[in-house]
Amino acid sequence: MVRLITHNLLACHVKGCTTNNFPLTFQDVQIELQEAEFNPEFVRNLLSRLDWAALVDAAKQVGDTSLPPEEPEMMDDDLLKKLHHVLLEIHVIEGAMTCPNCKHVYPISNGIPNMLLAEHEIG
Amino acid sequence: MQNITPTVVVNDPQSYEDRHVHTVYDQIATHFSSTRYKPWPIIAQFLSSLPDGWIGLDSGTGNGKYLPLPVDRPNSILTIGLDRSRNLLEIARYAGNESQSHHNIREVVWGDVLGDVWRSGIFDYAISIATIHHLASYERRKLAVQRLIQCVSPKHGRILIYVWAIEQDKLSKRKLPLDDQQVHQAGQDVFVPWVMSHPNTKNRAKKHGDTLISNSRESEGEQTLKITEVYHRYYHMFAKEELTQLVHDAARELGLCIGSFEGFSEQHSRGIDIVQESWERSNYFVELKCWQSSD
Repeated sequence: MVRLITHNLLACHVKGCTTNNFPLTFQDVQIELQEAEFNPEFVRNLLSRLDWAALVDAAKQVGDTSLPPEEPEMMDDDLLKKLHHVLLEIHVIEGAMTCPNCKHVYPISNGIPNMLLAEHEIG
Repeated sequence: MQNITPTVVVNDPQSYEDRHVHTVYDQIATHFSSTRYKPWPIIAQFLSSLPDGWIGLDSGTGNGKYLPLPVDRPNSILTIGLDRSRNLLEIARYAGNESQSHHNIREVVWGDVLGDVWRSGIFDYAISIATIHHLASYERRKLAVQRLIQCVSPKHGRILIYVWAIEQDKLSKRKLPLDDQQVHQAGQDVFVPWVMSHPNTKNRAKKHGDTLISNSRESEGEQTLKITEVYHRYYHMFAKEELTQLVHDAARELGLCIGSFEGFSEQHSRGIDIVQESWERSNYFVELKCWQSSD
């Protein structure tokens, strides 16, 4: 599935595309919301891996504007719940992710992103 | 009894894998998955030892049987599954989730273990179970190890790799016709058959061009014809210490030293420690831990 947690980790890997290759831009997405069990410890510990700006942008692209534009210094329960929702409960089922640099399109179908490249695109 | 036959990789290793690994797994996905549900204990222990909030990669996840772990702390860590077989990923999405409900759906990505699709050092851990032995050259196996090292944190990343061993368990059903000194040093490329039987119904056309299809009569009394399809998967069976050597070569090429932080921290800034390496039930495995000096 492509949830925003996964999106926050993926980068374009086309040959020679090494700068401005993250974050990928969502396009034409269909989303589904699925409740997931809230583990505040998990979300809190996860934060140091995340790129906040990329997460806020990606959330907007899938229609969620609940996160503040700057990463708050204090994480209260309310914010952790919002993060939990954004990271783990929004599933992108169909659509695509496009590289901001080389414009390569990674399709998403039946919830599975296709990160395979053609032979000539592999670095 | 499954007979393993030696093979030689010819032409381009990538197209060789496409034909003898990826295509096969896509065809046997459902049947394969139904026989691969029990997690191996050392891998389960490894995943149980990880702290809450860690995120990791299962590179070559297959049917995703490690994605729901640890069983006693569900959702405490998040393992993302990557595989080359789209059909196996469709199964992996629902790993540990018999009803195929949309609760606890797994994160899976369709990709190549040699691809570089992740932000560098972003994961806390990575596992690669029974995958690297499907790569058809030394260079590609080495690159696969390097991709694992590159995707985990240089400061605390942990890695577990399992590959198939020439040294087979006595209880193994597989018969191995190999026994010479060379093989025991360099490993051996082989084909391992996967046998599927199903009733001969009309809509089961002979669609698999390069598979052996044989008709055989069921036991006495029954008149049903059965079709047995045999698919040959490519493996590189690892020799003793070959996996360790591969890890050494991969790490050195990335400029990492090999050993504990305490032993090297003055001369080197980044390294990888081999936490444990052993043979278990027809497999070799190695567990690695990354370290980086603070300055």
